[in-house]
Amino acid sequence: MTDLNQATGSGATGAQDAAPRSDARRSDARPSEARRDYAMFDAELSGAVLNMHLLGRLMAWLKPYRITLVLSAFLILFTSYVAVIMEIIISRVLVDYIIVGERDSPMPDLGMIDLTIWLEGRLGVEPIYAAGLIFLVLLICFSVAGHAHRLTLISSIVRCLRDLRQDLFTHMETRPSSFYDRVPIGRIMTRVTNDVETLYEMLRGIGGLIGEFVPFLVAMIIMLSTSVRLTLILLLLVPIVAVATFFFRRASREVFRLVRNSVSSLNQNLQENLSGMQVVQLSQREAHNLATYTEINKDNRRYEYKAINLGTTYGAFNDSLASMGLGIIIWYGGGEVVQDQMSLGGVILFTRFMHMLFTPVVMLGEQLNVLFRAMASGERIFQALDWDEQIHEPAEPIQLPPRLKGKVEFRHVNFSYDPDIPILKDVSITIQPGEKLAIVGPTGSGKSTMIRLLGRFYDFDRELIFLDDIDLNDLHSRDLRSRIGVVLQDFHIFSGTILDNIALGNPNISRERSIQAAKTVNAHGFISALPDGYEAELVERGANLSQGQRQLLAFARVLAADPEILILDEATASIDTETELLIQDGLRKLMVGRTSILIAHRLQTIQEADRIMVLHDGVVEELGSHEELLAREGLYHTLHELQFQEVDDTE
Amino acid sequence: MKSLLKLVPFVRPYFLRILAGCAAFFVARLFEASSFLLVAEGIDAIDILDRGNQAARGYSLKTITVGIIAAVTLRFFFIVFARRAIRRVGISVSFDLRQELYASVQKQGSRFFAGIGVGDLMIRAIQDISLVQRLIAMGLIQLVIMVYAPVIAVTVMLFKSPSLTLLILPALPLVFVYAWYMSKQLAITSRAVQERLSALSSHTQENLSGIRTVQAQAQEDNEIARFWLSNDAYATAFYAQARINSLMGAWMPLFASLGHLGILVYGGNLVLSGQITIGELFVFFYFLNMLLQPIRMAGFFVTLLQRAAVSTDRLYEVYDAVPEIEDRPTDNTPAEISGSFELRNLSYTYPGSDASVLEGISFSVEQGESIGIVGRVGSGKSTLLKQFTRMVDTNPGQLYLDGHDVCDYPLARLRAQIGQVLQDPFLFGEALRNNISYDDPDRHLDLIWDSAESAALRDTIEELPQQMDTVVGERGVTLSGGQKQRTTLARGLIRDAPVLILDDCFSSVDTETEEHILSRLKAMRKQKTTILVSHRVSTLRHSDRIIVLEEGRIAEMGSHEELLRLNGIYAELERVQTQGISSSEDGGSGEYELSGSR
Repeated sequence: MTDLNQATGSGATGAQDAAPRSDARRSDARPSEARRDYAMFDAELSGAVLNMHLLGRLMAWLKPYRITLVLSAFLILFTSYVAVIMEIIISRVLVDYIIVGERDSPMPDLGMIDLTIWLEGRLGVEPIYAAGLIFLVLLICFSVAGHAHRLTLISSIVRCLRDLRQDLFTHMETRPSSFYDRVPIGRIMTRVTNDVETLYEMLRGIGGLIGEFVPFLVAMIIMLSTSVRLTLILLLLVPIVAVATFFFRRASREVFRLVRNSVSSLNQNLQENLSGMQVVQLSQREAHNLATYTEINKDNRRYEYKAINLGTTYGAFNDSLASMGLGIIIWYGGGEVVQDQMSLGGVILFTRFMHMLFTPVVMLGEQLNVLFRAMASGERIFQALDWDEQIHEPAEPIQLPPRLKGKVEFRHVNFSYDPDIPILKDVSITIQPGEKLAIVGPTGSGKSTMIRLLGRFYDFDRELIFLDDIDLNDLHSRDLRSRIGVVLQDFHIFSGTILDNIALGNPNISRERSIQAAKTVNAHGFISALPDGYEAELVERGANLSQGQRQLLAFARVLAADPEILILDEATASIDTETELLIQDGLRKLMVGRTSILIAHRLQTIQEADRIMVLHDGVVEELGSHEELLAREGLYHTLHELQFQEVDDTE
Repeated sequence: MKSLLKLVPFVRPYFLRILAGCAAFFVARLFEASSFLLVAEGIDAIDILDRGNQAARGYSLKTITVGIIAAVTLRFFFIVFARRAIRRVGISVSFDLRQELYASVQKQGSRFFAGIGVGDLMIRAIQDISLVQRLIAMGLIQLVIMVYAPVIAVTVMLFKSPSLTLLILPALPLVFVYAWYMSKQLAITSRAVQERLSALSSHTQENLSGIRTVQAQAQEDNEIARFWLSNDAYATAFYAQARINSLMGAWMPLFASLGHLGILVYGGNLVLSGQITIGELFVFFYFLNMLLQPIRMAGFFVTLLQRAAVSTDRLYEVYDAVPEIEDRPTDNTPAEISGSFELRNLSYTYPGSDASVLEGISFSVEQGESIGIVGRVGSGKSTLLKQFTRMVDTNPGQLYLDGHDVCDYPLARLRAQIGQVLQDPFLFGEALRNNISYDDPDRHLDLIWDSAESAALRDTIEELPQQMDTVVGERGVTLSGGQKQRTTLARGLIRDAPVLILDDCFSSVDTETEEHILSRLKAMRKQKTTILVSHRVSTLRHSDRIIVLEEGRIAEMGSHEELLRLNGIYAELERVQTQGISSSEDGGSGEYELSGSR
């Protein structure tokens, strides 16, 4: 039972401390619950630490592309080697062997001098042309291998992140309602889009870093074998860069955090202003809102200034240090040459390698920021992937028969989102196959909760709700939902054509079936009047359809799915009476032989029902037919009177 | 590319800063060049020392080293100054671009937002502006390098060996031609990447907003499959772009290194024949790099230019959008309105559509009158309401407010005095008090409670832990549909405006609460004009006059009793709503078909 109650939340906001949990019958048992902190999903993750664990987890998505990655690694090794040899051709072969004429220097040349000698003998040309030919061949190898390296690297990263994004979306798509009740969509959006993009930058950065470090190591080996002392002297500069990087990091962390925060405030403000533009314009808030935005924008500009002040100083400092290294090489190397410790070509080799020595360190500094930002992104992504909140599904679900009878039973159901505020109190009712039950009651009486439970959007205990005498906890929620047609209060229109919106991508729903459904709910009329008819494209939130048309479409959508149980959640409320008549007409056809549960404030809709259940503060106050309840002169009678008031006036 | 010229007005204010930055860059480049020349000088000095000719010429190694360090240090200060100056311009320009975008969208009407969705506008605000910022900050620096580097490099090279210089230079135009060709390819792919990212993110947004529908219909698998299509399309486009980038990254250095080959062979021969020194040979290597640096970056720069040009166009689509409704230059309308309307044969057709939504609507509204409007889906109710606050562009001479054409009123005045509650209950992610007192954030709390009371919201708010300070919407407590509607109703009521327009805003409120609200409303708005749309007879009957709209025309008009006596559409409506479907079923289903197909 405990695991069923895992979805209990503790919100930092307090007010919304309302993750669902179901009480075992009465409050005799208060199960220990793993409290879920939804504020976590909102919290800013610092990402201040280099979390190797995160990188390790990312490897799981890189794994399918490991062969490509290994190939890529081999190619970068090859490219680096070629790049180093090209420098050796210039310094050791051209200067030392060809110009100065030193053949027997102990300094390394990777066999290039011998190769040149062999080639000039073979081709019978001047040594300088032999060297040129080798250089040309290397050049082509360098370009081709470099291109291949980048392609293999990027293709594996892109595919890895595509898979990660797909898995993330799949995971989010299957989180339960209790999750979406509490976590703003924007937060999830950030994870699926921006955070994955940041990971791309990071992986690309790491790839680039490896692309710099490999030549660095190869160059280092050559330098060490040319002059250990000069190499060590130059390496002394590296700690200076490292210290500068450390201080820069420390100073910039706070600044970058401020920049990020101000950017997200900017976006949030704009997004909201755009979504509520009509209200903004009608309330004359344009100037006020612009002023608020300007303040955030100014903050952002201030922090950005600070950030570039740090960035430019740091970058230029590293550059300059590398150039200072050239001075050291000339000064020290010159002395070594005079003492015959080094050749002139050796000195030149050092000057050519100087940039290889520093680029990776500088780049590491640059990449650190991306890396740390990516740590935060990675943390957010994996937090989302690890968010295991879900509807408890049975290990071996009972398969529903192809055709249900449609008997629904609530047995002493107690339910609350927040342990302190019970929503349903001891609700019991059996709805017979094909019966039409109307649930009425004031707002907040628990009507919507009842149908949400029936759709198993929340977890509840065993032995509470039954479908055809099968405990809902023994069914897979998707199997269950595919048998229940729900028209929710907030229905949603997806962009796509009208047909797409009716069939919702279900391959089992043919065009004919969709059109038939539209005809049944009398949506065919307005759809045919649209320029493209059923192929008309709908935009975000169905803005180019009227409220009533959107509802008709929502009906058609449920109808096309042909469920055995029909649930209507007061969506009929904002449809004009004539359209309402058309819908009632279609609905009546639909309800034949189907168990139907109707939630509506409108009594004429309710009169369609065989029985009416009056819910008040989560308690079943009255249950019976229209006439029975009227005769009782209770709550139903009062509601009825209010609606029928005008009858007395006019008659 | 021409689109980039549109940025000129945004960049112009920072002209001096750019100039100062460029000048500093030039100086920094000169110091950089000197440090290279000094290194070459050093190589020669070592060569001379090596061959034992101690006293020949040149400076001592120590002097050269000190010179290098001095040049590098000076370069540091100039380069920092230059980069800061130019990057600040980038930041300032993006600041201005954002301000302009925000101000522009606020002037736009529903037609604009139907064309460019919220998600798309967000992408423009975030990504397109940041691309332009990058163009200015990095691109400008790149441009400066592109000009300075060749000038300095070619000058030095010509000075050292004209023949070697002339050997290398002809290769350069080839490089530019190639860069230009690739830029075209890049423009296509980068546009595709931007579009597909946009599609991916709006797909996600849309899916998540409708997650409850998806789950209720057990459509998760289909949705995941659909997501894969967007996801994979984006990845494919991204890879295609990376491929072209990499191809440029492969060809550019290849071109460059052909120059190195020229120096190696021809320059090497020059050294062998004693025409130039080894140091001078390396001057060529260094300065060829300097010359090629901008060309190597040309790929990057061209990408940036292309993408920024696309972004600029996308931004200007917003900036250049003409507001659908604008104030007249002159204004002779009264400052205070009393709230009497006259509609003279008002017709309205949405732009870009052939079918008129409203046709020949004529009626007048006295000050203090309450009007109820009812009509079928698509009968033009919402469009009619939008005329009063000019949320659509009303035709001149068809709607008069207090005797003046409504088009003559400044929008600000019109909207300040006409309260309108929309059908879609939108709440901002702010405290309830700010949501209710949205038009005037400084209003006294008591007034806010009063209007909450009028909208039957007091009890609900009192139950919330932070009461009026409870944050609602995306980042706060989620309210039920009815609570949202009542909050937006309170927002409309608080203004106590001479005219109040309610667009079907009781649909999710239960009848008991609605009755309560309506009776208060009646008392509150005795001398003031109220226009409301509803489908419920129980709501409409409180109005002085009821208008029945049918396909954009007035079908019936009169008081509740008059319309009942008329025994037309309204009377039928009343019958259906009060006696329920079952009783009118006796009349046969033919009647429904009649009302449905008319």
